[in-house]
Amino acid sequence: MKKDFSIVGKSVPRNDGKAKATGTATYTDDIKLPGMLHGKILRSPFPHARILNIDTSRAASLPGVKCVITGEDTPKIKYGNWRLFPDTQDEYPLAIDKVRFIGDEVAAVAAVDADTAEEALELIKVDYEELPGIFDIDSAIKEGAPVLHDYCPGNISVNRKIHYGDIEKAFAESDYVREDVFNVHAVSPAYLEPCAAVAQCDLDGRITLWTSTQVPYIVQCLLASTMGMRENDVRVIKPFVGGGFGGKMELRTWEFCAAFIAKKTGRPVKFTMTREEEFLAGRRRHAMKLYSKVGFKKDGTLTGKDLRIYLDGGGYNAMGPTATFLCGTFGAMLYRYPNYRFWGQHVYTNKPPASAMRGFGAPQSLFATESQMNIAAEELGIDPIELRIKNAQVTGDEIPDVATISSCGFIEALQKAAEMSGWKEKRYSPKPGQGIGIGCYSFISGGVFNWFNTQFPFSAAEVRVFDDGTAHLLTMAADIGQGCDTVLKQILAEELGLKMEDIRITSADTSTTPQADLGAWGSRLTMMNGNAVLDAAKKIKAQLFGAVSARQNLNVIHELGCKDGMVFPKSRPDRGIPFGEAVAMAQKANRGEPLVERGYYTPRDKGLVTPAFSFGAQISEVEVDKDTGVVRVKKFWTAHDCGTVINQMAVEGQLEGSIQMGLGYALSEQFVMEDGKTLNTNFLDYKMPNAMDVPPSEVAHIETYEPEGPMGAKEAGEGLAIPTAPAIADAVHHATGYRCKDLPITPEKILAGKKD
Amino acid sequence: MRLSHFDYYAPTTVADAISLLQSKPDAHVMAGGTDLLIKMRHAGLKLKTIISLKSISGLNTIAFDETKGLTIGATALLADVAIHPDILKYYPTVAQAARGTANVQVRNMGTVIGNLCNASPAADNAPTLLAMGAEVHIQGPSGKRTVPLDQFFKGPGMTALEPAEIVTAVHVPRLTPHSGTAYISLSARGQLDCSAVGVATMVTLKEKVCEDTRIFVGACGPTPIRVPKAETIVRGKELTDDLIDQAGVQASAEATPITDVRASADYREKMVAVLTRRVLSQARKRASE
Ligand SMILES: Cc1cc2nc3c(=O)[nH]c(=O)nc-3n(C[C@H](O)[C@H](O)[C@H](O)COP(=O)(O)OP(=O)(O)OC[C@H]3O[C@@H](n4cnc5c(N)ncnc54)[C@H](O)[C@@H]3O)c2cc1C
Repeated sequence: MKKDFSIVGKSVPRNDGKAKATGTATYTDDIKLPGMLHGKILRSPFPHARILNIDTSRAASLPGVKCVITGEDTPKIKYGNWRLFPDTQDEYPLAIDKVRFIGDEVAAVAAVDADTAEEALELIKVDYEELPGIFDIDSAIKEGAPVLHDYCPGNISVNRKIHYGDIEKAFAESDYVREDVFNVHAVSPAYLEPCAAVAQCDLDGRITLWTSTQVPYIVQCLLASTMGMRENDVRVIKPFVGGGFGGKMELRTWEFCAAFIAKKTGRPVKFTMTREEEFLAGRRRHAMKLYSKVGFKKDGTLTGKDLRIYLDGGGYNAMGPTATFLCGTFGAMLYRYPNYRFWGQHVYTNKPPASAMRGFGAPQSLFATESQMNIAAEELGIDPIELRIKNAQVTGDEIPDVATISSCGFIEALQKAAEMSGWKEKRYSPKPGQGIGIGCYSFISGGVFNWFNTQFPFSAAEVRVFDDGTAHLLTMAADIGQGCDTVLKQILAEELGLKMEDIRITSADTSTTPQADLGAWGSRLTMMNGNAVLDAAKKIKAQLFGAVSARQNLNVIHELGCKDGMVFPKSRPDRGIPFGEAVAMAQKANRGEPLVERGYYTPRDKGLVTPAFSFGAQISEVEVDKDTGVVRVKKFWTAHDCGTVINQMAVEGQLEGSIQMGLGYALSEQFVMEDGKTLNTNFLDYKMPNAMDVPPSEVAHIETYEPEGPMGAKEAGEGLAIPTAPAIADAVHHATGYRCKDLPITPEKILAGKKD
Repeated sequence: MRLSHFDYYAPTTVADAISLLQSKPDAHVMAGGTDLLIKMRHAGLKLKTIISLKSISGLNTIAFDETKGLTIGATALLADVAIHPDILKYYPTVAQAARGTANVQVRNMGTVIGNLCNASPAADNAPTLLAMGAEVHIQGPSGKRTVPLDQFFKGPGMTALEPAEIVTAVHVPRLTPHSGTAYISLSARGQLDCSAVGVATMVTLKEKVCEDTRIFVGACGPTPIRVPKAETIVRGKELTDDLIDQAGVQASAEATPITDVRASADYREKMVAVLTRRVLSQARKRASE
């Protein structure tokens, strides 16, 4: 099924590379509009408190202050991404009655400059009645625990169960059953561009919002509903975005406040978060407590798994419901579990809300899976890679209620990673203080479950072609630095036989790009938007082919192709016509109408989870200082299957970024918290690895061809972020005898747990 | 947090800087500003006046003299100290500490003296200079004076400077023959990070006997602290591995670390023993080379 590609599969430089490298890229905070006001947000100093009274009068009379709002001024409409289940929508743009975490948004000020706005914040007087706070899962689910949301008396806001086969019977018939408890911690997406939004209101009352978001369409809809407006009276534009990693995939307070104040004052308003606000109150990856029980036959065959997960959700649901669903789905991926039971519960605590973050439940769930695989391998006396190969999912496997796996290169990835890393030698004849370990992953290529309850196709693309041989691609897909603008252009260029520079792209503007696109999350864009682009391109080709066939008087049996700027009958390439001329012919054949086509994609008949699965294996080699407990990762080897690699460089970039994030997740990043307060709110003390900390790495692309994907492609954005922590944990165990079950792996834990 | 509005002066002589400081009692001097501006922006320090030292000519001088030793001027950059050929040759640990401070950008702005005057207990440049017996040159309304560095630190953010006084330079004597120095610090992220704990030493050998030593521990007390009892264990004795181990244990007992966002007291205490051991054996090796 593989094709010869001209542009797909190459290392094509990114669309946005030059603009970012030269500093000319315009991010939201760079936008300046005439008369623009600057907004700041007043945040709760208490983790849990009732708001008794807010007095904004002194702030409002500070010279330069143009508007002060509290929840009372707003329409008081709750929002949340899970529109399909309105019960889950638990957040107001500004607190009504209660605050639920330190940093919860209480009021907003807009003034002539940011300093004045900030000064005004100090003049707002809020009377709070402090309430007892809960800061961990166990205390939140205890009888009689303080309740965060009246609608949810037990603090458990989402329950998700999966069950197939007979798990009890499976354990009874197992030769070896292993039970462990894992605790994984919260980390920050730490995107380099803090959130920002600029809103403008026209004289008809319509809003335009420029915002640093992954989900322009979702922001459009939810902003409209919280403002009490019609969706199409709100236009959301995504400028250049400096990363999101899941932290920018909801409507957020400042987006609402900017729009609301713009409407109220008639002046444009900008809000830009500080790094401290991001660390103090920004979205995080869920901390989870995982109880995992797995059974095996003596020969290593998996018999089943029973997985119980509590998610520490923080004060609001945010994207927690999806994480709760997905961590259960991920628990049954990668290996063949004939029997599986999952129960996930999303728990409210008085901490900043956790939400989507790269991997969306998988880094946590698969940390447990992969650690247990390594433990089981040791106890069964089977090599961890052999044990995996024995149980690996393969093409054609069905995950009950999820999907049939239509392409899978997992076993090849395991074999390749073992070979590249010199696994056998290093695992079985280790040098003192050194260790080698493995972690694997499988991930979804976009989600199927329509929690947003959109009536639109999941993704859409419009392609316009012109007689000068150029094309214009319009799509709502949000390039947030992951590179989808480039990849989508590549797919279009490949299909139409054009060059990258022949294509202009306009993306992520909800009023000019075709409706709709659910956004940049769940590694969905290459798959879903790529398919929409292909669909549009194929329709364009049909028109061009009609015109060319007529002009050349071709026998109807001829198939036509597009390549190198020509449209030609495949069996008679010499009778080709330049692309632009073919466009002119098609237009002339159609009363001069411009040649424009729209394409769409919505996964159908693909179960409720995802249309396609990626797979991969990663091996890491570490050196542990036995006196200080300091871990140095020496090297990573990764072999992964993302279907067709559309852009080598882009995939390698995803891998490098994933390793950097995984390294932080495994070893150094964590929130230092005291009674709900985050103490390390800067990069000095939030220990994100920097470029110098990232070890060298080698990669092998195990290319498969995914029939559902555009040109055989599937995901490469999030899956790669999963294996690093378990691989390092395994390598640390190999080096020291300390098996980490509560991330991060700190020197202190290693010193306490090592076996000499 | 909001940066308060402030007046900015850039005098061209030390005398001018001092008289400005006298006339504006709330003024702070600034070298690279990599500590000062951050305190203003993030720690609520509200200043009305900043006096930059960077326009004072000659203050950034790094001078080495075979007999007098090394003088690092107040505005000499961390980046310059890190690669200065004489420092690399005669004071390798001083260069190493500067190179291990922060990152490229900060080293291109920040100074060794700023690091000392900021008086953080974790300051990366302090332990080595303390171990080497450095002294600071101070100039103020009542003239010039010299203070040994081990009497300069008074507490977190507090120094022996009197109002309107400025540190003009730090002076480091030459290492005596058969002496070696070492500094090792630990932090939670790679090598380039604020230290959670650090230990520096200078060791002078006579044959195999440790004729003298000074050991200083960073980030384990209100200032970088000396561990005299650990020094006593090795001073005047043959510097064996066993004795070095004992000194480590003793240093750990003398340190008074706290738990904070960077490490726990317990871990710091353990690491003082490990690092003391390591710096002593490194310094011993260098001293016998
Ligand atoms: C990202 C980052 C990372 C950092 N990492 C480290 C690290 O790894 N290790 C470390 O030790 N530090 C670190 N620092 C702290 C800081 O960079 C250093 O302390 C630096 O050496 C300060 O020098 P400066 O010239 O910028 O000082 P300034 O900020 O200019 O001054 C610091 C203080 O000293 C006073 N002062 C300065 N010069 C004089 C003088 N001549 N006379 C009297 N008072 C004076 C100032 O008034 C001020 O109070 C880091 C800082 C940042 C921002």
